[in-house]
Amino acid sequence: MAEIQDKIREEAKKALESGEVGVVIGWGAGSVPFKTTPVFIDKPQDADKLVWNPACTNNLAVYLTRWARDGKVGIVAKPCDIRSIVTLIREKQVKRENVFIIGLGCGGVVDTGLMEAGDVRMREITSLQWDGDDLMVTTEAGAVKVPAAQALREQCKVCHDRSPAISDVSVGDAVAPSEDLKIEIPGLSEDRQKYWQEQFAKCIRCYACRQVCPACYCETCFCDRIEPKWTAKKATTDEAWMFHATRAMHLVGRCIGCGECERVCPVGIPAVELARELNAVAKERYDFEPGDPEAEKPLLGAYKENDVDPAHHSE
Amino acid sequence: MKDRVLLKDKTGDFLGFLAERFEIVAPVERADAPAEFKELAESDVPALDGSKPMMTPKDYLLPRHEVLVKIDMAGGETKVETPLPEEKPRVMLCAWLADAQAIQVLDRVFLDRKFVDPYYSCRRENLVLFAVIPAEMRWSWFSGSVDDVETWKSSVDGLMYDLGDRFYIESTSEKGAELIASAPLSEASETDTAAKNKLWDAFKNTGLQPFAGKALYENLAWDDPIWEEMAQKCIACGMCSFMCPSCSCFDIQDETCGHCVERYRCRDTCQFEDFTLMGHGHNPRATQLPRSRQRLLHKFKYQHEQFGVVGCTGCGRCVELCPVNIDIREALNRTCVEPMEQKAEA
Amino acid sequence: MSEETTVLAEEKDQSAEPQKWQPSILAILCNWCSYAGADLAGSARMQYPETVRIVRVPCSGRTDPMFVLKGFQRGFDGVMVLGCHPGDCHYAKGNYYARRRIALTQDLLKSLGIAPERFHFEWVSASEGNRFAALINEFTHKLEELGPFDGVA
Repeated sequence: MAEIQDKIREEAKKALESGEVGVVIGWGAGSVPFKTTPVFIDKPQDADKLVWNPACTNNLAVYLTRWARDGKVGIVAKPCDIRSIVTLIREKQVKRENVFIIGLGCGGVVDTGLMEAGDVRMREITSLQWDGDDLMVTTEAGAVKVPAAQALREQCKVCHDRSPAISDVSVGDAVAPSEDLKIEIPGLSEDRQKYWQEQFAKCIRCYACRQVCPACYCETCFCDRIEPKWTAKKATTDEAWMFHATRAMHLVGRCIGCGECERVCPVGIPAVELARELNAVAKERYDFEPGDPEAEKPLLGAYKENDVDPAHHSE
Repeated sequence: MKDRVLLKDKTGDFLGFLAERFEIVAPVERADAPAEFKELAESDVPALDGSKPMMTPKDYLLPRHEVLVKIDMAGGETKVETPLPEEKPRVMLCAWLADAQAIQVLDRVFLDRKFVDPYYSCRRENLVLFAVIPAEMRWSWFSGSVDDVETWKSSVDGLMYDLGDRFYIESTSEKGAELIASAPLSEASETDTAAKNKLWDAFKNTGLQPFAGKALYENLAWDDPIWEEMAQKCIACGMCSFMCPSCSCFDIQDETCGHCVERYRCRDTCQFEDFTLMGHGHNPRATQLPRSRQRLLHKFKYQHEQFGVVGCTGCGRCVELCPVNIDIREALNRTCVEPMEQKAEA
Repeated sequence: MSEETTVLAEEKDQSAEPQKWQPSILAILCNWCSYAGADLAGSARMQYPETVRIVRVPCSGRTDPMFVLKGFQRGFDGVMVLGCHPGDCHYAKGNYYARRRIALTQDLLKSLGIAPERFHFEWVSASEGNRFAALINEFTHKLEELGPFDGVA
C-alpha cells in the first residue's frame, strides 16, 4: 500500500505542477489512526498529505458537483467512487473534461464500528494495513489480525468491480478477497414491513445519509420543500418512512452502492439496502447498471417499447 | 453523606426500590443503534454500565418530536389542547457525566427566568440525576480538557462508578444522599473507595488535549483560516448537532390534517442551509463557512459569555461520528494552541 | 388531497363499528384516457364504490412515485395508477416513461413489505368507462380480502 500511496502523491504533484488541475481531492490522515479525512490539495508540495490505507472510506465524488463546476479538479478515487463519477457525468452534473481521475484498484475498506465490537481497543490503534485477506491492526500492545469478513464494510464484501471503470491515471491492482463473502442483514427476510418500520423509527432526520451521497445533489431536496410539503421535519416513523422510501426511489438506477449512507448513519439504518434491491431488479429487467460508463441515458430517462409491462391486464 | 455500593447481581432490587418512588429513565439498548433514554417499562433492561454508545439524555428531556398545541375543529367545536408531560418524580440513571453536565446548558436555555419552557420543565423539575463513570472511558472523550470536571459533580445528584462486579454510588447532593441512604445498598469498603478514586482520575485525565485549560473563549478567533478548511469538507448534515447533548436548537412547525392543526417542535441545526434563511430570501449565513464557525464559537465562546458554562462537555459523539472526520478537538488545538505557541516563539 | 384523505380516515374510524368497512382507494388518472373513462362511467350511471378518491394528472408520466408513497403514508388501503394504452399517449411517450417508473415503484413497495396487491397499475382508454367501473369494483374486492392497510408506522 505504501508504494500505491507514493504513486498517488506523485501523480497529484504532477497534475498540480503542470497546472492541469487547480486542486486534488483525496484522503488525508485523520485525527485518529483509524480514520481518514477529505483533503483539498492545491499546492504541489502539499501532495505528501495524501494517504491511502484501509480507512479511506469516504466517497469523495460527493464534492465534485461543488468543486468541478467551474474548473478542472483532480480526484483520488476508488472503483466505487468512480462509478459515482460516471453517474454524475451521465446526468450532466460534472463534465468529463473537468475531472482528472487518479483511479485506484481496491480490495475494500474497513468498517471501524466492527472493529470496536471485537477485542480491539480503539484508543491503542496506531495503524491499519491489509495483510492478504486480513486486516492488520497495529496497536500499542502489539498487532492484531482481523479477518476480512469482520473488517470489511458490507458493500466491499460483494463488490463486483474492483478496478476503475474510467480514469486518467490508474494506480494499483484490484484485490478480491479469496473467500466468497455475503451481505447479511439480520431480520430483513422475516417481516419486511415490520423490519423497515423498526429501522425508520430510529431515524433522527439528521440527513447525513443524503448529504454524504454523491447522487443526492438536488439544490433543494423534496423534504426541504415547504410547499408542497412532501414530508414533515418531525422525526416520526411515518415521516421517516416517507423520506427514506422516496429517497430510495430517487436512487433507482443512480445509486452505485458505495454504502456511505449506511456508514454515516448514527442510528444504524441500512438505507442503502433498498436501493441495492431495486438496482438488482434494474439489472435483471432493464440490463442497466448505474456504474456502467457505456450506458448513455439514465435508467428512468429512457424506455424501450418492449419494456416489461407492470399492468395487470384484467378485462 | 455516606457513599455506598450496589452489587451488580442486586441491581433488580435497587431498580425495584427506585420504581416505587420514581419514574426511572435510563438508557435501553437497541439492535444496531445506540441505546436510548426512556421511561423504563417492566420488560426493559437498562444498560447501566455506560460502556457503549448511547443517544443523549437530551432526546428524553427535549424530544425529537414534541406536540406543543393541538387544535381540533371536528364537529364545528374547537378544542385546544396543550399536551404537557406529566409532572412526577423522575430519576435518570447512567447518563455519561458529560451528558449530565450538558443538561446544565439546556437548563439555561429552557429554564431561563424570563421564560420557563413548560414542556422541558415538566420533565426536568423533580428529576434526580445519577451519572455513570464507566469502567473504561471511550476513546473520544475529552471532558477534562474543556472544563474543571470536579465542579461538574455538583450538577448531578450522584455518580455511579463501574467497579466490575459492583457500582460505587457516590452522592453529591442532599437529594442524592437521602436516596442512597434508604436504598437497598451495601456499605463501601476502603478498597472500593480507592478503586473509585482511581476511576475518577482516569475520567479526569481521559483524552487530555493541548488546549486544556487554555481559556478557549478568549482565544477563538472569528477570522481564523480553520473555518474555511472545515467548511471545505463539511457536508452540512446535522449529525453533530442532533447527536450533541447540549445543542438545543429547534424548529416549530404547524401542520394541518383535516380538521386538526398541530404545532410541534422538532430538531434544527445551524449546519442546515435553511436554518438562517429569512422569509424574503436573504440568508445571513449563506455559505458553510459561517455555519461551521457558528457551531464552535457558540459552544466555546458565546455560551460561556452568556451563561458562564462551556457549551461543549467533551462527550466525543461528534468526534466519533462525523462522516468526514472533522474533529472538534483538532480544530480547537489548531485555533487556540498553535497561535499561542507561535506568539511565544516570536 | 390531504384533507380528503383525512376525512376518509375519519370515515374509516367511524366504520370500525359494525357497519361494513370499505377500503379507501387513491386513483391517479391520466387526463386524456382514464379520467375521461371515469367521467364516462359516471355519466352512464355505472356503479362503483364511492370511497375512491381521484387525482387527475396530465399524463401517467406525471405520476411521481411520491404520489403513491404519500398515499400509503396517509393511510389509503390501496393506490391505483391508470394511463393510456402503450402507443396511445397524448404526448407520444409519457406512458412509456411511466411504465418503468411504476414497475420499479411496485418493486420498492415489495421491498418495503407492503403487499403488492395494494398497488394497481392499468391501461384504460377514454372509451372504457365500463372497464373503469369494473376495475374499481375488482380492486375494492381485492382490498376487502386483504383487509385494512395497517399503515407505514
